[in-house]
Amino acid sequence: MERSPVAFDQNFSGAAGDFPALLRRKGLLAPAAANPLPLAGTSQKTWQPTEATTILAFKFSGGVLVAGDRRATAGNTVVYDRADKVLEIDRHSIMAIAGVPATAWEMARVLEHSFQYFRRTQLQEMSVDGKVRALSKLLRDNFGFVMQGVGVVVPIFATYDSHPKPEARLYFYDAMGAQFEVADYAATGSGSPAVRGILYYENSWGAKPLKELSEDEAVSIALRALDTAAESDTSTGGVDRSGKIYPLIKIVSRKGITTLPESKIAAVFKATVA
Amino acid sequence: MIEEPYRWVEAIANRREYIEGQLAPGSPIAALGYRDGILFVTLGQTRQKIFEIYDRIAMGAIGHPGDIERLRMAAIELASTEGFTRSAADVSLRRLVHYSLSPVMKTAFEQIYGPPYLARMLFAEVAEQPEGDLFLRVEYDGEIAISGATYAQARRDFAALSGTQQSRELMEAFLATQHTTDANLATTFNLALDAWSIGHMTLQTTDTKKLPERAAVRKHLQEQLANAAIEAALLERDAGRAIRYRSLSDNELRPLIHD
Repeated sequence: MERSPVAFDQNFSGAAGDFPALLRRKGLLAPAAANPLPLAGTSQKTWQPTEATTILAFKFSGGVLVAGDRRATAGNTVVYDRADKVLEIDRHSIMAIAGVPATAWEMARVLEHSFQYFRRTQLQEMSVDGKVRALSKLLRDNFGFVMQGVGVVVPIFATYDSHPKPEARLYFYDAMGAQFEVADYAATGSGSPAVRGILYYENSWGAKPLKELSEDEAVSIALRALDTAAESDTSTGGVDRSGKIYPLIKIVSRKGITTLPESKIAAVFKATVA
Repeated sequence: MIEEPYRWVEAIANRREYIEGQLAPGSPIAALGYRDGILFVTLGQTRQKIFEIYDRIAMGAIGHPGDIERLRMAAIELASTEGFTRSAADVSLRRLVHYSLSPVMKTAFEQIYGPPYLARMLFAEVAEQPEGDLFLRVEYDGEIAISGATYAQARRDFAALSGTQQSRELMEAFLATQHTTDANLATTFNLALDAWSIGHMTLQTTDTKKLPERAAVRKHLQEQLANAAIEAALLERDAGRAIRYRSLSDNELRPLIHD
């Protein structure tokens, strides 16, 4: 008998709430590479991660601040100066990306739909641990492509957990999908060494620890850190003073996600950075 | 024997009678459009009957839980893959029901050696304006009833679902005279409860074309509210958020009840 357009199969993935599995069944998502060997012709003797950007996140008094510069590059060329690398996944979760944009945005879309799909089919919200793990699994499935020299993604994931106790939580990942929860701050991308240095210094010997900063102070430090990264890293846009292009900054708190308006970032920049 | 046409018709008729009998005790569901969205209301004993399908689409269903689950999962899968591969704006209730659910349900119903879906469903999709709201009722045989204007009826901004046709028609008759889309949540909620009460009262009675008295409707409602929980959900019109579905708790709703 011909299969109906609605494939009502008995072992439907809906029962498990697994959205990537559903996409694979329908042929809408590349299968996890079983054999992560370099493609002929693209093989590299030493694997060079290309994460040309700077993303940072740290906890402050009002939740987690996540900031990313706006530059997208291809080799030595700047291809776009208004790239959005800080992506909202659901009402309380942000994924910030360093790496290949095509893969990263696809991952963000899969993740966003995964959380909604889980809630709709299972009639309960996915736990924070489940969400963190879901991203980890996507990275793991993508690792074959990373080894082939295409599609490396190294994200930061920030979210607000209401159970068991309300608190902001922050994770960074490696390209294989290992997740690391951090207490204070995380940075990823080619400009991250400079940023990590600044955040470590501020947290240890600054006027006050990052956790106690007000929103304006936090924004100021984020801008200074990105500007410092841009100073030596050509792949990081920092603050474009002539084009008036500012980094994208979002805050995750108990209330949800706030995207800071450019006017506010510009005001802090003028007052404390420029 | 089934090759003979009249046998097939007879088998279908038997099957229809059987399914109607199975669905008959189903507690009614009312979906009412109002100023700020669409409100789904039912009084439930145990099982959840109102579900989120996608950003702007919700479903209410009565029938066998296994069949409802299969149809619900299928609807969510279709909407989610469409929303993922194209965009959330491309997910449309009209397409979902007309092109996917209805044909499958009709096929299952008419293949008399296979099991039919023991389910009756009510879908709604919220739009930016009440005039754009869409209500669809899908029967176990794939038949679709639309709330939009047809040659036989004016456009309706509400829909009802019940165990029997008589009960549903009385709910619709009541709502046709009482319902407006410019009401607020509390007014709409009370109207939905009255409609539910009318539907529930008339499930058992046979051949009633007349609406019950108002006092009797309220009395029946009070009795039922005493030992059943209110199940309700909203599709909010608020365009500021992508996901418009929100379930409302019994505690949140009880204070809104008035006489």
